[in-house]
Amino acid sequence: MTADLVSALIPELALFALAILVLVGGLVQQGDPAGRIGWFTFAGLIAIFGLTFVSSEGASLFGGAFVLDSLAVFAKRLFVAAAALSLLGSLTLKQSSFVRRSAEYHFALLVSLLGMVVLASARDLILLFVAFELMSIPLFVLTGFLRRESVAPEAALKFFLVGTASSAVIVYGMSFVYGASGSTAVSAIPAALADGHPLMMLGMALLMAGLGFKIAAFPFHMWAPDAYEAASTPFVAWLSVAPKAAGFIALIRLYVEGVGSAALIWMPALSVLAGMTIVTGNLMAIPQQNIKRMLAYSGVAHIGYMLVGFAALSSSGVGMMLFYLVAYMFGNMGAFLVVEAVAQSERSDGIDAYRGLAQRSPLLALAMLIFLLSLGGIPFVAGFWAKLYVFWAAVERGLYGLVFLGAVLTVVALYYYLLVARRMYIEAPDRRDPVAVPGLLGAAIVICVLGVVGIGVYPGPWVDIAMRVASTLF
Amino acid sequence: VGAGVNGIPVLSVMTWAPFVSALVIMFFARHRPLLVRWTSLVGTAVSLAASAWVYWAYDRAAAGFQFREELPLVPSLGISYLLAIDGMSALMALLTSIIIFAGVFASWTVKERSQEFYALLLVLVTGVYGVFVSFDLFILFLFYEIAVLPMYLLIGIWGSSGHIRPQGIFGWAMGRTGVGTKEYAAMKLTLYLLFGSAFILVGLLALYVAAGSRSFSFFALESVPFDHSLQTWVFLAFYVGFGILAGIWPLHTWSPDGHASAPTAVSMLHAGVLMKLGAYGVVRLGMGLLPDAAVDWAWLVGTIACINIVYGALSAMAQTDLKYVIAYSSVSHMGVVMLGAATLTEVGLNGAVFQMFAHGIMTGLFFALVGLVYEKAHSREIFRMGGFGSMMPGIATAFTIAGLSSLGLPATAGFVAEFLTFLGAWSSEYRWWLVPGVIGAFLTSIYVLRVARQIFWGPKTDDPHFQNLPDAQGPEWAALGILVFVLVLFGVVPGIAIAPVDTSTVPLIERLTGR
Repeated sequence: MTADLVSALIPELALFALAILVLVGGLVQQGDPAGRIGWFTFAGLIAIFGLTFVSSEGASLFGGAFVLDSLAVFAKRLFVAAAALSLLGSLTLKQSSFVRRSAEYHFALLVSLLGMVVLASARDLILLFVAFELMSIPLFVLTGFLRRESVAPEAALKFFLVGTASSAVIVYGMSFVYGASGSTAVSAIPAALADGHPLMMLGMALLMAGLGFKIAAFPFHMWAPDAYEAASTPFVAWLSVAPKAAGFIALIRLYVEGVGSAALIWMPALSVLAGMTIVTGNLMAIPQQNIKRMLAYSGVAHIGYMLVGFAALSSSGVGMMLFYLVAYMFGNMGAFLVVEAVAQSERSDGIDAYRGLAQRSPLLALAMLIFLLSLGGIPFVAGFWAKLYVFWAAVERGLYGLVFLGAVLTVVALYYYLLVARRMYIEAPDRRDPVAVPGLLGAAIVICVLGVVGIGVYPGPWVDIAMRVASTLF
Repeated sequence: VGAGVNGIPVLSVMTWAPFVSALVIMFFARHRPLLVRWTSLVGTAVSLAASAWVYWAYDRAAAGFQFREELPLVPSLGISYLLAIDGMSALMALLTSIIIFAGVFASWTVKERSQEFYALLLVLVTGVYGVFVSFDLFILFLFYEIAVLPMYLLIGIWGSSGHIRPQGIFGWAMGRTGVGTKEYAAMKLTLYLLFGSAFILVGLLALYVAAGSRSFSFFALESVPFDHSLQTWVFLAFYVGFGILAGIWPLHTWSPDGHASAPTAVSMLHAGVLMKLGAYGVVRLGMGLLPDAAVDWAWLVGTIACINIVYGALSAMAQTDLKYVIAYSSVSHMGVVMLGAATLTEVGLNGAVFQMFAHGIMTGLFFALVGLVYEKAHSREIFRMGGFGSMMPGIATAFTIAGLSSLGLPATAGFVAEFLTFLGAWSSEYRWWLVPGVIGAFLTSIYVLRVARQIFWGPKTDDPHFQNLPDAQGPEWAALGILVFVLVLFGVVPGIAIAPVDTSTVPLIERLTGR
């Protein structure tokens, strides 16, 4: 029994141990000028990524409250990989607060990651909620980590208030679900839903609103741009991907898994949510002059596209949404890492800092162009397939209007992506010297480029994995 | 793997030769401008030879789709690399080859970042060939995107900005958009065309899912009798999507801005070939796959085409910028193409395809000439220039020939095209379409002759900027010579185009009318 427990929980246990070690290490060693804690954390994450391949898939512990199905394993790998990529980007940060409080930063990051990893397996409302909070609270801290930035406290507070409000809504919804189904097990939801109890519907609707906050869907997206602008960029790269992926995993667990065709009652609500999110995100991104805010709004739009796949509520729809998450991870994190590289050299997150980048640092500009094209959904990079497959799944369900809306708004998205491309390629540079990119940050960018282009040229295997994961849910 | 003929995949060679030369340029010709030009020339010459050979070797008696090449790419989704060619495609591929081959000569003098310029241009051409010969609709869509995207950088970096002072009640708003600058034009063109491709993509997905056969092959989808209501809206999606590229009113406004701002070779290629991609898409996918809807919507397509013809011609008359005149004349002439297609008659459709070819060559020639004039005189303002005929007789002669073809003078390709189209309009359900068509031809003669007289044949200007201008030189002669020759050849012997085109229009019309 103990052996079973350990083999199933090994990534969580290892992550917990790593977090404690980092915390203790930070107590022992004041400051971290050599970046030893960062390196240690990074190495640990690589090891944990390997451990996710060791842990026994298919296990179900604690009376089904903690499962290790293929969705959980998929999500865990996604979370850990994203965290490792983000860390690779932040290893070279030289800001004094990073050097001084390195252990604090990495500890918070690991704890949040632990929350996500547990959440991926949670099939019990209580465990789900606890995991959610474990994930969220360190994120508030990390958002306000750069205290010298005047906007950081405000953004962190905003994020905190919105986040706790959404948690309250989630708990409130869960209480109704428990009241109607008489159980905290997620597996009890389909049967209770079939009874058509009004409290059940209310509870599920509240849950959807609460999760909407977490994934920054319209109209719950307002925290994202402020938080992104204030926080350190490599962290934002992770913040823009992993917690949202976690929100989607929770959505899948609550609304799709085991529900079958009864899930179709959520289709109208989800379609409207998806459509509004796409429209708001894309339109709000246009006037932004700060590239992190622009990417934040474009990220909101991408959540909308994922919701299009989710709204199909079919095996292919959910599978395509998971594939979209992978494509989005590489494209969006890559873009943020380039932003970090430019910001380190130019001391600016303004879009104007990209003037003439193609003549100053052609490779960096090319990388950024690839990421932007991927986010815009252009063929031969990952984002194209992601959008195509999501639309495909929606068309199979007859959601033509939603697909039209989404397809037309990709053009709006390309407008603001091309504005950046225009700064980089068409306008003349103010300075001639190349942008200095630290080696590790460059390596992280290269990994993202390989991911985006690799998936773009040969999406088959990735699609197969996502589809296989999704097929187990129906 | 199905290979073309004698084991040589000739269509693939034609399509990918420019792409290979683009790769060679990027990797092996850094900072060697002459090598860049020669590599481009060799790549496009290979394509020209391949397309000419295919055109000649196409078996007209057997008709149908020939030179098939097939390679499954994603079997689970039914996506395969499926190339084939019929008479219409063959003529369009030949047009592409001629224009780009001449375009390489015409842009011989591009100096700034010439390596990237040629590489992007060649990649774009690969996309154009791909659209004309792909019969897997998914791959066709990918090629379509390749043909659209490089345009942003080509116009944005190498284009030229004009001086436009917007007037009228919305003038202040237009002024703030930066209208007239190359950045504005590049963005506008790209967004319009991608907007169109969004419609195309949705239409394709709808057909794919509705057919239920898990195949994107044109031949598989052609045999599916789609539901009438599905046909109705998918046809509209294709009409809007491809029609934007074909410059249909009122979605044509990207075209004058884009073509006026683009560098010479890009204008030639875009107005000469890419706009035909749009018309080709409407005919091939819209009419080919959705016959019922094509008949239902013929009135709309034809009426908008009539507006295009007259509106484009009137707009061209009002322009003072030489490039805008030519650009608006394209809008007008593309109306003739769409009108021919909307007649749903064999002769009208032949006229449409012939007009695609004739207008492609003619407008390619026009833009090459405008580029030459701009390069020598550094001006596009019609009423500042004058009397250039004595200084640049070669350019003046070529411009006049292109102009005469444009207004439809017999013995030029333009005459055959318009004559066939008007004949088709007269024998169609809506005879009144003939009236705007003829009015358009009349207006064309006004603005073309006016421009030719003002710039070339009228009295010489005293402006010191415009004294002792040289005529075309070296490689530029090659560009002009090729295009003038083709324009006259197809006007005198139209049969060399009509015969192969007939092989694809006859079955199409049979399908449309014998339902």
